[in-house]
Amino acid sequence: MTNDEIFSKVQAIIVDQTGEDADKVTLTTNIKQDLDADSLDIFEVINEIEDEFDIKIETEEGIETVSDLVTFVEKQLADKE
Amino acid sequence: MQVDPFMQSLGLKYPIFQGGMAWVADGRLAAAVSNAGGLGIIGAGHASGAVVAQEIERARSLSDRPIGVNVMLLSPHVEDVVKVILKAHERITVVTTGAGDPSKYLPDFKAAAIKVVPVVASVAQAKRMARVGADAVVAEGMESGGHIGKLTTMALVPQVVDALNIPVIAAGGIADGRGLAAAIMLGAVGVQMGTRFLVAAESKVHPDYKKAVLKAKDIDTVITGEYAGHPARVLKNPMANRFMRLEKKEAAKSNPDFSEVEAIGNGSLKTAVLTGDRENGAYMAGQVAGLVTQAQPAADILADVYQQATQLMGGD
Repeated sequence: MTNDEIFSKVQAIIVDQTGEDADKVTLTTNIKQDLDADSLDIFEVINEIEDEFDIKIETEEGIETVSDLVTFVEKQLADKE
Repeated sequence: MQVDPFMQSLGLKYPIFQGGMAWVADGRLAAAVSNAGGLGIIGAGHASGAVVAQEIERARSLSDRPIGVNVMLLSPHVEDVVKVILKAHERITVVTTGAGDPSKYLPDFKAAAIKVVPVVASVAQAKRMARVGADAVVAEGMESGGHIGKLTTMALVPQVVDALNIPVIAAGGIADGRGLAAAIMLGAVGVQMGTRFLVAAESKVHPDYKKAVLKAKDIDTVITGEYAGHPARVLKNPMANRFMRLEKKEAAKSNPDFSEVEAIGNGSLKTAVLTGDRENGAYMAGQVAGLVTQAQPAADILADVYQQATQLMGGD
């Protein structure tokens, strides 16, 4: 899976959860601050991402921006192969 | 009424947890609840490891029944508190957690044979807790006092029950046997109550704060922190009004700065519990404050709630 593909899936999940428009969710978007997401929204996003990519996210620590999420997914997928 | 096997396995006579209320739930209150057959829980709140160790010691000097500790994950002392609990593991039956994701502490608690019961406010959070090995969850609705989520108990509990294969304890809006019976009907194995124990004879809460809870009516709680973050349910008083007025004023600005609002909140629960000062203290309480009209010993609270629920459920 390419980075772009990972990003667009992550973006779709965040758009779905937060109700924001897709163009507001970019790589540099800070999920909590820019999208007013609270910790429950973050749990929701993490759950969806785990299901979508069949990976495990053990902690949300260190995940602030969309880019952090994409990088994390990328690394997990690489480790799986 | 049959007590669920999970609750029995914790050594409980009644399927009732006493909420681990920060500053309120000390070793004395926890011991009183546990001695009477419920689960007394020491609230670590923002206290240091040393203070939590003292309260565990105190509870243990007063009771040899199961005791729990609530770990507040946003506390700056959380690492120390976890260490203290692990050191005292043979004397702690249950750890409940609040305000966050306890995943990283779970393996150590489990290795120490402590049952871990995170407090959750959504299905996704509950599922995550189940996956990382929680033994049960407390599903807490926004009727409760203190820090709250968004869903009500009536909506949250059955959805969490449906999503999990581990026991669910209901919390938020429960103060009597009707609440316990209703929670069982929603699929919970028991309840956690805070506000009713806040006014218990063994609770150290300042008499003025207790009086305010006993006097409160149904509509007397408000939510502070809806804009500034970490929403908390408190009784209306001068402190809450000042907090909310300033909070609303800031929220209307294009670049809100909530530091002054947060300064009003900092230490305000401790002030309420220790001094009763209604000008500066946060009188945290649940929506059931209107149902809580008498201060009783913990043993009477437990027996009353259980007997009423048993009667309603047609058992003996």
